[in-house]
Amino acid sequence: MMNLNPLTLKKINRFKSIKRGYYSFIIFILMIGISLFAELIVNKRAIVVKHEGTYYFPTYGDMIPGTKFGLDYDYETDYRKLKTYFKKQRKGNWILMPAVPYDAFENDLRVDQYPPFPPSIKDRHFLGTDTVGRDIVARLVYGFRYAIFFSLILLAVNYTIGVSIGSAMGFQGGKFDLFFQRIVEIWSNVPFLYVIIIISSIVVPSFFMLIVIMSFFGWMSMTWTMRTITYKEKAREYVLAARAMGASTSRIIFRHIIPNTVAIIVTFAPFSISGGIVSLTSLDYLGFGLPPPTPSWGELLHQGWSNMDAWWIAGSVVVAMVVTLLTVTFIGEAVREAFDPKMHTTYE
Amino acid sequence: MTVKRIMNNLFNIRILFAGMVIVCLVLSGCGESEHNEKTGIQSVPEKQINKQTDSIADIPKETLPVGIKWITNEADPVFASPEAEKGGTFRSSIMSFPLTFRVVGPDSNSSFRSAILSNQLGLIGIHPNTEHIIPELATHWAFDDDKKTMYFKLNKNARWSDNMPVTAGDFVYTLEFMRSKHIVAPWYNDYYTQEIKKIIVYDDHTLAVVAAKAQPDLHLRVGISPMPGHYYGKPDKEFVGKYNWKIVPNTGPYQISDFKKGKYIKFKRKRDWWAKDLRYFKNRFNVNTVIFNVIRDYNMLWEYFKKGKEDIFSITIPKYWHVKTKIPIVKNGYVHRIWFFNDTQRSAQGMWLNQDKEIFKDKNIRYAFAHAMNINKVIEKVLRNDYFRLEHGFMGYGRYSNKQIKARRFDLDRVKQYMKASDWKRGTDGIWVKNGKRFSVEVSYHFEEHTPRLVVLKEEAKKAGVELKLLKLDASAAYKKVLEKKHDVAWMGWSTSLRPQYWEHYHSINAHKPQTNNITNTDDPEMDTLIDAFRNSLDEEERIELSHKIQMKIHEIGAFIPTFMVSYVRQAYWRWWKLPDVPGTKMSDSLFDPFGSGTGGLFWFDQDVYDNTKKAMKKKETFEPVTIIDETYSIRKCKP
Repeated sequence: MMNLNPLTLKKINRFKSIKRGYYSFIIFILMIGISLFAELIVNKRAIVVKHEGTYYFPTYGDMIPGTKFGLDYDYETDYRKLKTYFKKQRKGNWILMPAVPYDAFENDLRVDQYPPFPPSIKDRHFLGTDTVGRDIVARLVYGFRYAIFFSLILLAVNYTIGVSIGSAMGFQGGKFDLFFQRIVEIWSNVPFLYVIIIISSIVVPSFFMLIVIMSFFGWMSMTWTMRTITYKEKAREYVLAARAMGASTSRIIFRHIIPNTVAIIVTFAPFSISGGIVSLTSLDYLGFGLPPPTPSWGELLHQGWSNMDAWWIAGSVVVAMVVTLLTVTFIGEAVREAFDPKMHTTYE
Repeated sequence: MTVKRIMNNLFNIRILFAGMVIVCLVLSGCGESEHNEKTGIQSVPEKQINKQTDSIADIPKETLPVGIKWITNEADPVFASPEAEKGGTFRSSIMSFPLTFRVVGPDSNSSFRSAILSNQLGLIGIHPNTEHIIPELATHWAFDDDKKTMYFKLNKNARWSDNMPVTAGDFVYTLEFMRSKHIVAPWYNDYYTQEIKKIIVYDDHTLAVVAAKAQPDLHLRVGISPMPGHYYGKPDKEFVGKYNWKIVPNTGPYQISDFKKGKYIKFKRKRDWWAKDLRYFKNRFNVNTVIFNVIRDYNMLWEYFKKGKEDIFSITIPKYWHVKTKIPIVKNGYVHRIWFFNDTQRSAQGMWLNQDKEIFKDKNIRYAFAHAMNINKVIEKVLRNDYFRLEHGFMGYGRYSNKQIKARRFDLDRVKQYMKASDWKRGTDGIWVKNGKRFSVEVSYHFEEHTPRLVVLKEEAKKAGVELKLLKLDASAAYKKVLEKKHDVAWMGWSTSLRPQYWEHYHSINAHKPQTNNITNTDDPEMDTLIDAFRNSLDEEERIELSHKIQMKIHEIGAFIPTFMVSYVRQAYWRWWKLPDVPGTKMSDSLFDPFGSGTGGLFWFDQDVYDNTKKAMKKKETFEPVTIIDETYSIRKCKP
């Protein structure tokens, strides 16, 4: 059982009492949860197949070739076709497909019709398809998974670096502080978008490489705040006490000062998450983000922009972005409110 | 020279976009490919002391050998319309302002160069429909039996734009100029040393150009265009900097009259151009003013066109032809659309497998890879059946093309057969595996518009057990990667020339080293023998036969998987622009190329129609929508 101190509990309760933020939080957690199990909801692979008395669960396992189900090809089974085939057969074989029976990569192309196809419940393209016939729901859901984990990991990396350096600056003060201030100032002035564009035009960035590049230029913002707080905290008695007891510098920073500044860090976090999502989306939009055909919101946005007549493309991705950013922002506001030590401001 | 100029026409700026097809103009534009600039050069301006006249007098004159059989050509069909009228302003665009107006030296190889080069005539031209030699600066020509020397009689009326006569001395000067270190153009230095041996002057209007070695198609090599010696004087160290923005005297129909850096370049027609009544130039080059505005974004260009601020727009891309042109200005008949089939050399578009990569060393794997590419599905489902399957890399070269070769089609059984023959097995994810290595390769490309094609190929290849990893790079990064032979598979195409170029792409001398065009690293002794024979042969029939053999051999090696060809050009234009009854030529890559001496300048401006249309647009009156499909030169009938 976690040991929460009463102060933290109070904050959490206060957070819960701010309904807008709290519900946003629940929705947000739900969205992440769904995206984690997206394979069961949005996938071209069936959830369960019963064939000749045997059950198959293709979702997470290896590819099952068509021959296994008595089809005449040995590439991956087309479960949508298999379903109609089973129905025709009437041998008691059945198949359970996910709600959206498409994955984010396959092109649903038709004879004499050219994508993008508008939303259709019959075809189970609930939000239509993009310009190469890929299901938009699938692109959105898997794209969300990329975007959210991208920004969470980016957040962690940025904050680890930013908080450590910022605290060190505040704590050490003097020349160390001066030196790093200049470094941060110079670093902040590097036009990071251009750098990313240059780098990604030479090498195609992978997911983790993008995180490395972006955190390379993203860690600075936290340092200023952390530096100031650390200056303040450093002067407090408990720091003096810790030092008197012989604690090392790093112990004082990491075990004493940082825990006392968590409130500040936490209030920044949601906004950094939305920032991360936005930057990944904009990079993808510009074509410098994750390599195709990775599902991505930015790429969808780009398609939407160049195919305005296919309103469902731009429409879906814009709505999805607004909803996501809104929930994250609401959470951020609520967190800030709950962690506000003065409790003067009222909310709602 | 002529080839060049023909190529220049191909090079026309608008085509850059037009052909998504011509993916690689950019790439090939900067390569050191043999065919890249087999041609003439010229251009650049300014008033200068007339040193050249003195030196012409000093040129030793030889006596013309006896028994020369002069040839001319005044009998081939003309392709311009007698109804053409002069006048009007043609507004076109360029994507970026050129870095210099020089046509040799650093930064000169931009797409705009073709506009300048097109206004520099060569000694002779090539008739775009018959491919016979036609007069340009020379009225007559003759071949020597040594197959190295070609004689020319200059047109006595030929004038530079500063009214100086074009004389044999200008050609002597050209050689000196092109060999000068000061122009900082190694390619030209080399070409005019290794390929052109000397110029012999007989009198002011008679000369011979001597190639370094005997060769077939001699006229394609020696029909050079002259540099204005009286203007430049002796090239010196300052050349590169000095002539960046100079407007050099030229011999063609237009000359730059005005420009604003970063904004526009304006060309004016020469009212009393010396060649305006020549058989193959008559009724051409009709527009008075041609303006190239700098419009840096393709979508923006489309908006300009729709507003009538741009006269033509290339709609070769299926999306534009089928979807984006369903707009009021087209439906109301203000803008016409034309689909013109041509019959010219096809760019070798496709997938180039790097045989230095372990996986592609095995011929079976290359064949399997080819059979795993569902090109036809892409054509049907993505390209709306608008593109055609390219069967091999040298289609459209007339008799030089081997018509027996058929590209390998998507065929899962064949893939299986070839993979099994090399002991590969299907892995648990369905991809072929051997000794822990998966059949997974990177495809490098750079053109965003091609992503939809590649994602379909990728999904289809999965069925065949081949994994494609798409690697979209910036154009120059992709170019570098490929030329350094670091790619697995390169998705690209090459620009073309009048005759197939085998040596640069397939000779082992260019394999396994960076910065050559043998990007498949083909290293095959038999191929080398064939290519050497082809290069050394002077007999056309033999060359054609060898050409067929080489193409078959390329097919057997299987390192190039041909993809698409676009055997037409589609353009949208405001209705006041008029075209001849047969709107273009066999070689036309744009119907609205204002300059090209080979195929350009056929269109004209109709003032009455312009006035009517403007009035009608104001009153919201409409005309019948017009879509022209011209299949005069179609090699394949199409459905509209």
